[in-house]
Amino acid sequence: MVEIEGISKSFQKTVKDSTTEIRALTEVSLSVRQNEFISIIGPSGCGKTTLLKIIDGLIPHDSGQILINGKRVSGPGPDRAVVFQTFALLPWRTVLANVEFSLELRRVTKEERTAIARDYLKRVGLEEFEHHYPHELSGGMQQRAGLARALAVNPLILLMDEPFGSVDAQTRQLLQEELLQLWQREQKTVIFITHSMDEAVYLSDRVVVMTPRPGRVAEILDVPLRRPRIADDVRRDPKFVDLTNYIWDSLKKAMENGH
Amino acid sequence: MNSQFRINVISIVSLAVLWEIAGRTLDSVLIPPLSKIGSAWLRLLISGKLLSNLAMSLGTLAAGFFLAVILGIIIGLLMGRFREIEHFLDLYINAFMSAPMTAFVPVLILWFGLGVESRIAVVFLFAFFVIVINTLTGVKQVDRTFVEMARSFGAKEREIFLKIILPAAMPAIMAGVRLGMGRAVKGMVTAEMLLTLTGIGAMIMQYGSSFATDALFAVILTILIVAMITMRLVQVVDQRLTGWKTEIAIE
Repeated sequence: MVEIEGISKSFQKTVKDSTTEIRALTEVSLSVRQNEFISIIGPSGCGKTTLLKIIDGLIPHDSGQILINGKRVSGPGPDRAVVFQTFALLPWRTVLANVEFSLELRRVTKEERTAIARDYLKRVGLEEFEHHYPHELSGGMQQRAGLARALAVNPLILLMDEPFGSVDAQTRQLLQEELLQLWQREQKTVIFITHSMDEAVYLSDRVVVMTPRPGRVAEILDVPLRRPRIADDVRRDPKFVDLTNYIWDSLKKAMENGH
Repeated sequence: MNSQFRINVISIVSLAVLWEIAGRTLDSVLIPPLSKIGSAWLRLLISGKLLSNLAMSLGTLAAGFFLAVILGIIIGLLMGRFREIEHFLDLYINAFMSAPMTAFVPVLILWFGLGVESRIAVVFLFAFFVIVINTLTGVKQVDRTFVEMARSFGAKEREIFLKIILPAAMPAIMAGVRLGMGRAVKGMVTAEMLLTLTGIGAMIMQYGSSFATDALFAVILTILIVAMITMRLVQVVDQRLTGWKTEIAIE
């Protein structure tokens, strides 16, 4: 469903008078299946966020192409929605108005978008907080609102950029479980950026390990854990432990080779 | 808020009492007791002189300030959005920000004559630059991730400007408007004292030179009250536009 074919990307970085070219991604290829939950993991600076932005069409790439159901991506589109690491909730809008924001841009009428936004707030458990402002909510609740905003436009593909990276550990586990439940109900394809091996294995069907800059795909691993996954059981499963250890070794190897 | 108000009242009352005592014991024309200022104020009020002059001054203030707000915000937004415009203008804006505005009054007389246009121009000049700079800063400080988020959900440039940049910059814009209001009042009085003797400024000059200190202080107190009221008005508008921000500040 999502074909990432030989994506390369360089940035120009100017320090004083000398401009250096930084290669962020080289020849990244990856094929994502429909309704698959795929995680991309790699050391910081490996270009995983850049890759996500390229898939979203927010930034251009130098070579290669992204195909979604055979159609080439040239900019942001209604088939994709992003959940941001920093939530990116507008502080001057209430939670409800934040969720409506994505619908407003799609020209949905006022009554309709309020109804849709309420519905999704309910699905993420925020129905009682619709009139609150983002800063009145905890980090976990803010990201639930961010998730509701992304789901509200009913995208085929959910692009998640370290969405639980800035919440505390307990909240993180809760959000992971909720996300899995939502994903199973909503039937979405998820591309999930993380630097937590544990998170990647627990959530995903497959885990993509990337090398340090310039980011390449080092390895793509199947997660042999049955669904639905009960967090406590899964984390004690020897297969879970083996796979996280394996990813750790793979990351270490990739980092050593990179230097 | 309540305890702040109480302390405000205590502060005003104790200053008034001290002033009254000082005025009575010194028995000097330089510091008239507050009661005499009060009766002078009443006299000016009843004769209608204070109100008619005040109306004239406030008209100038409103016109100059209105122009400064509209043009200041527009220029500030343009500078914030287009780097070329910013670099084209920031030299002058920064220079005028720190220059003493009074120095330009003679130029304005030459350009606009001695009429009301000149006074409006002075008020405008006093208030304009601080509004531009704050608007510019507000636009430049908009969190990039908000813009990226909007773009990702399919926002066009116009929508990014109206739904992201403008509301995100609003607290800074309003801070500029608030500062501009204070400067506009200064500009108003300066224009009336330096240009043509009209309005409140004329009353100050007249009573000052004739040692009518009780009336002089009555006028000065009126200016202070006007300044406070206009500031409060701006705050009310600010609160309506950027209440979400104030809530953050209180926490």
